[in-house]
Amino acid sequence: MIEKATWGYDGNLEPLYEVEEREDEFLVTFDLPRVRREDVEVNTTKDTVEVVARMSRAICWEHWGSVQRKITFQAFRKRIRLPEQVEPEKASAIFKNGILQINLPKARRKVVVPIT
Amino acid sequence: MSFFLIAMKKMEELVRVVEEEGEGYKGEGYKNPIVVAGLPDVGLVGTIAVSYIVEKLEMRTEKEKCREIGYIESDLFPPVMVIHEGRLKSPFRIYGNESVVVVLSEAAVPPNAVYPLTRALADWFKRIGARLVIPITGLPVAKRIEISKPEVFAVGNSEEAVRWLKEKQVEVLEEGFIAGSYALMLRECGKRRTNAISLLAQCFPVYPDPGAAASAIESLEQFLNLGIDVGELLEKGEEIKLKARDLMRQTALSAPEMQKGVEQDIPIMYR
Repeated sequence: MIEKATWGYDGNLEPLYEVEEREDEFLVTFDLPRVRREDVEVNTTKDTVEVVARMSRAICWEHWGSVQRKITFQAFRKRIRLPEQVEPEKASAIFKNGILQINLPKARRKVVVPIT
Repeated sequence: MSFFLIAMKKMEELVRVVEEEGEGYKGEGYKNPIVVAGLPDVGLVGTIAVSYIVEKLEMRTEKEKCREIGYIESDLFPPVMVIHEGRLKSPFRIYGNESVVVVLSEAAVPPNAVYPLTRALADWFKRIGARLVIPITGLPVAKRIEISKPEVFAVGNSEEAVRWLKEKQVEVLEEGFIAGSYALMLRECGKRRTNAISLLAQCFPVYPDPGAAASAIESLEQFLNLGIDVGELLEKGEEIKLKARDLMRQTALSAPEMQKGVEQDIPIMYR
């Protein structure tokens, strides 16, 4: 099987990302070089998080990989399916030095079991 | 020949360092060079750092100029070649002049190739009379987003190497595990009595980190004194990150098999 390319002819690149599972939340980060905070859009549902981020300056490569023609990318786009449900309205995000960090609290929080 | 000897012979041949004769190649004329290695690892710190060093040294005057002097081949490597300016090249290449040798790779090292690769390189470093081997890599930190200038730590493979580090006031890693090609390169060089020092810059684990590479180059200056200004590396950081996405992705995929997670563990004999 050929691994799926991380770019599209629509001018979008797939960003590098990482999903870290913590006790009560998922911490999702995206690497978004050439992007400013005001050009980032984050959408979440109960089980997905989607990021669309426009670059401040498009990147153009003259001889791109197997295509061997000029290709330009203006944005990053990626939708991730989360391993379990979250509370989208309680999500928060910060953007610093090209890294977007999204905190997504889990829908099912831990319950303390009484010990008798 | 016994089965054991045949097996050993085959192991030796798994990875070959091939020296190319070309314009300006000085053959056996190395003057106890310092070797700098940057194989893909966390944050691609070594790869970014050595690629920048080569780019800068290629522009130097005739005496200091760094040229492509060889490559590394192995049946264990992926069947991949790279094309630059219409020329076919191995992704595992060696650059250098008589006093500096640089080893770099544009493809992730398959985990099953790490042992034979580091052995073959350590043998070759010994053969060219390297006086010091410096693998550059990253030290993943959880709060990298909050660090504006990554710190650099080091590991030496001998008493002498550790003494040099202390003299240069480079912070030495005192406890913990290290994993990956640089860890084995330190050991294999040590077995051949070649001094080696690994420089580890704080970095993002799975994102290319030009800032960490810049810190590593600044630290390297204490040993090599190449006079490389990292300003352009930092200025072009975002472009480098864009170009390095796919190599970072390939490298991150092999991280579990490289036991990179062990680097976060505490050794049982921790003091």
